[in-house]
Amino acid sequence: MDLKVTTRQGLSRRNVLRIGSLGGAGLALPGVLRAASKATSCIAIFQLGGCCQLSSWDPKPEAPPEIRGTFGHMPTSLPGIHVSTLLPQCAKRMHKWALIRSMTSDVAIHDVAQRYMFSGTRPRTELQHPSFGAVLSKEMGSRDGLPPYVVVPDRQSSAEAGFLGSGYDQFVAGDPKDKSYRVRDVALPAGMSFEEAVANKKLLHQLDAEFARAEKSPLLGSMDLFYQKAFDLVSSASTRKAFQIQDEPDKLRDAYGRNTTGQGALLGRRLVEAGVRLVSIYQGGYDTHTGHEPAYQRILPEFDTAFSTLVDDLDQRGLLDTTLVLGIGEFGRTPQINPAAGRDHWPGAWSVVLAGAGIQKGAVVGKTDARAAYPTERPVKIEDVGATVYKLFGIDYHKAYEGPNRPVPINTGEPVKEILA
Amino acid sequence: MKPFGGRCAAFVLISWAAMAADGLRIYPEKVSLAGPGATQRYVVISTGADGVDRDVTAAAEIRSSNGKSVEVDAGNAAVRGATEGAAHVEARYQGRRAAADVLVGSSRADLAVSFSPDIISILTTKGCNTAACHGAIAGKNGFKLSLFGYDIEADHDMIVKKHDGRRVQLAKPEESLLLKKPSFQIPHGGGKVMPVDSHDYETMLKWLQQGAAIRSSGPKLVRLEMYPPEQTLLGGAGNSRLIVMARLSDGTTRDMTSEVRFESADEGVAKLEGPGGFQPGRAGLTTIRARGMGKAATAQVAVIQAAAGADFPAARVANFIDELVHRNQRRLNVRPAARSTDEEFLRRIYIDTVGRVPKPSERRAFLAAPDRARLIDTLLADAEHISFRTVKFEDWFRNTQLYSQGRAMGTFKSWIRDQVEQDRPYDEFVRELLTSSGDTNRNPAAGFWFPAVDFMNNKFEVKQITPTVTRLFMGLRLECAECHNHPLENFTQNDFYGTAAFFGQMRMKVGNTVFRRVWYQDDSAQVEHPATKKPVAPKYLGGEEAAIPEGADRREYFARWLTSERNPYFARAIANRIWNEYFGTGIVEPFDDMRSTNRPTNPELLDKLAAFLLEKRFRLRELERLILNSEAYQFSSTPPAGEAGSDQLSRLLFARYFPRRLPAEVLLDAISQVTDVPQKYGGHPLGTTSKDYEVPDTPSYFMSTFGFPRRDVLAHRNEEPTLAQALHMMSRTTLESKLTAKDGLISKLLARGATDEEVIGEFYERAYARNPRESERASVRSYLESERTAGRTKRRTYENLLMVLLNTKEFQLNH
Repeated sequence: MDLKVTTRQGLSRRNVLRIGSLGGAGLALPGVLRAASKATSCIAIFQLGGCCQLSSWDPKPEAPPEIRGTFGHMPTSLPGIHVSTLLPQCAKRMHKWALIRSMTSDVAIHDVAQRYMFSGTRPRTELQHPSFGAVLSKEMGSRDGLPPYVVVPDRQSSAEAGFLGSGYDQFVAGDPKDKSYRVRDVALPAGMSFEEAVANKKLLHQLDAEFARAEKSPLLGSMDLFYQKAFDLVSSASTRKAFQIQDEPDKLRDAYGRNTTGQGALLGRRLVEAGVRLVSIYQGGYDTHTGHEPAYQRILPEFDTAFSTLVDDLDQRGLLDTTLVLGIGEFGRTPQINPAAGRDHWPGAWSVVLAGAGIQKGAVVGKTDARAAYPTERPVKIEDVGATVYKLFGIDYHKAYEGPNRPVPINTGEPVKEILA
Repeated sequence: MKPFGGRCAAFVLISWAAMAADGLRIYPEKVSLAGPGATQRYVVISTGADGVDRDVTAAAEIRSSNGKSVEVDAGNAAVRGATEGAAHVEARYQGRRAAADVLVGSSRADLAVSFSPDIISILTTKGCNTAACHGAIAGKNGFKLSLFGYDIEADHDMIVKKHDGRRVQLAKPEESLLLKKPSFQIPHGGGKVMPVDSHDYETMLKWLQQGAAIRSSGPKLVRLEMYPPEQTLLGGAGNSRLIVMARLSDGTTRDMTSEVRFESADEGVAKLEGPGGFQPGRAGLTTIRARGMGKAATAQVAVIQAAAGADFPAARVANFIDELVHRNQRRLNVRPAARSTDEEFLRRIYIDTVGRVPKPSERRAFLAAPDRARLIDTLLADAEHISFRTVKFEDWFRNTQLYSQGRAMGTFKSWIRDQVEQDRPYDEFVRELLTSSGDTNRNPAAGFWFPAVDFMNNKFEVKQITPTVTRLFMGLRLECAECHNHPLENFTQNDFYGTAAFFGQMRMKVGNTVFRRVWYQDDSAQVEHPATKKPVAPKYLGGEEAAIPEGADRREYFARWLTSERNPYFARAIANRIWNEYFGTGIVEPFDDMRSTNRPTNPELLDKLAAFLLEKRFRLRELERLILNSEAYQFSSTPPAGEAGSDQLSRLLFARYFPRRLPAEVLLDAISQVTDVPQKYGGHPLGTTSKDYEVPDTPSYFMSTFGFPRRDVLAHRNEEPTLAQALHMMSRTTLESKLTAKDGLISKLLARGATDEEVIGEFYERAYARNPRESERASVRSYLESERTAGRTKRRTYENLLMVLLNTKEFQLNH
């Protein structure tokens, strides 16, 4: 049995990475896990800024007004489980997914906490851990020539490929709510015909060939490869079609909500159908240091509509069994409303929802105290959410990558068993 | 064109015909056996006149000068202590001789099995204590061992006492989990790594039968040594041997070859076979590492397919760099590329020194009088070079708005630029950074400390700055040693905290606005050792404890020591960093990982560059001048004709210039310059280049896509190509406005009524700093013709042509 961790030096300009065939424990597992895996794709709505637990999934009707706020609560399709009145559509579908109310961490800075949440691994100063999308890209690969990891609307620098290298980095889709939405860069320049592009490409090949006759470097090969992939993308009707959200019936587009989150979720469904592994939709606006309630009255209904419509839509198309859907943020908000009518950063407790592939429908995990400040039951760490996601994809999450300095495990958490079907 | 222009007349041609030191060696050369019965393996290496080493252990005749004390067991290639005494052990082979000294002490050969080294060695060679198994921070299945066995007491405790003592059963040793798990008598996640009938199983059983004692009172392991330390072998020459010997605290040595774990950095070059054995494979340069008992040793193995022959080209030598680079190339029989042409050199040096492509006027001026040394002098003194180097320091020191919230980034940048402009001695520069305090708006040097802010708790974090300082200024990655002794280096947790103690009195407070930071010293603060929970005294890395009077700024002592000649790392680290910038590969690679087990490919070169810096009083510009004037930097990027050698070797031996992607800023500025449409950077006036731009923490799509670093972690710039880059250039999102601008290059050429031939010439000169070849002109001409036949306007075809040129590799790479 080969137990060596091989380090490559010298040649590797950057991270020549290989999965260390580490420790016997991992050796037999991937096959076993993959066989039992459920998910082939994932759509995540990231609630940037940190979603207030009290205003969403974990209302505390008994708490004093300066804690509970004015949104009130409503019953859901799960007996005994109440959520905020800002989530009426989700309330009707609570039996369709799992809720964790006992997320907890100690990181209260957006950037750091987001890196934590996007990678499922606590950030370190000397090492940038690959985000979910990068790991899924590496482990699952791409399907049908589409980029495996797509983000909406814009790149998050906290969600990069880290030490895995740019080959696994995010592909930016842009904002599909725009009337004239076109995916960024996946198109020939305006006014350029296909024939014109082919002629240009032919000339480029001729000129590049002269250079390549003299130069030898692996760099040239990978540039060629990416150029060819790029050309395939811009000239492929099916890729363009996957991004062509305008093809969706107006009624469905309306149902998702005509905003970035809603249209992003719909685009996510199209992309997952076409073979993308992870679509991350970033919904901003949760960072409400002032004017908390007016802001949430605007954004939470958007989330409510997008999330519930997405789950319905995937379900109707038979995609929900293989698509994991996440609604998560990097932390919660302070239980006490501040003097500026805002709520500040609060990593002590918050809630996340998970639906689809391999998730136990109707599971509710964890409880928080009377102020929704800290878990009183079954605290769940960000690492555990990471392990859950990887497990559902059949990825050996404790497997180590050969990092820049040493072996780095993909994840150090344990799956949240209570939400696994 | 003359092959040697300008000052090249001063070149010396030297030949290395007599360079190889042929001879015979026997390793280890000094052995001190504990007593009768102890053995030590040896290896005999013959070096031919061609510089190639051969393992002749089996063929050599070995004699002991005192057979009563030291016996030779030629069959096992080992010497054995017989009685107390000393002997010369001589090897003879083809008329040549080599000798080793062997002492035999008086200790009775110890038949008792001891926990350390015997049991720990088994755990190490089986891989039980690696980071992926029980050596992980959290252990595995509740069983945790120290990484590669550095913590003997804790490991013994874990095995004998923890888990209610179920791991060992002294009454029924065979029933111990310690035996049943690895022999897979009961399921073991790590598999069957130690079968019941194996030697290791026997040893472990014997240890349990003897009472599972720790017996740590014996001599301690001081260091591991591997022999031969360096060799050059022919690929396919058959099995070679390496020997690992421990030096113990009582002065004796011990053969550890079977008790360490070997790893080859490149199995294709040196494939491991059994303890210490390996097969040389394809040509290459690699390191073999052995680890055990928390220590590590390395040996370098070079493999060649044939020795350099008489036709190996002589070196062109501009300065000492070339002599040393050539020596290595010759040893490994890797032919260097030809000298770059003046045009190649011109474009390369502009990109590397001033961060942009040369303008047509600059090209013509240089070609009229191609004096490379003079151009180097001019460019190094240029304001753009100062700005470009400033950006590099900003990368190193992680000058980003993420940490400074924007307010102090600009102050720090302009302070760095001042230092670069004066070519302030680097040691002084670093001392000022490391001893800076106060408000970052008033004392910009204190901007250095921003990466030490622990965001989670909004305070100064000494554990963040300690590895940052050692990595930046010593090339040492100490972060592993924060939590455990470094597995790849002979550094311990004590070294980490000893270094941290110099910075442990620093504190941070928020200034009078939320964005201001003030750094100050708290004399009463101490750094606590995580294991002993006691304050740690400052200790120079790998050296003595620092005697610092109460109330003095400890950082001053550290900074003085760091930049003094007592510290071997400082000058080498910066020399290697600068070298890496110009060659894309360090003499130690990766350039900021100078641990002892990561050998320089050319140690003498690194030493000499460091000495040069000391002699020039750390004026970095002098080092840059030296490097840029070397023939090694000026090699063409085209491999020599008929050279089918490995890219890896050529790269490690600096046998040619390796093409590199233009950095994000350089590429954007180059596009602006070629198209004659300046880029607008933030609030800066039009015409400001990216080098002088204070890049916001959300840089433009172009900048981030092409690898501008966030500077939030200690990481290198991403130089890999990506799909997003290809798409961005192909869809011409950024290019569009530059190609179609009303006052851009194409408009000007059209207005001037330029002919196709003139346009082609102008495009080539701007993009590539050369004239088009006739074959290229022909390709372009026929392209323009057929596109116009297809109905495209003249302007449109020029736009497309220029776009194609900007998409070529020749444009996007420095070569």
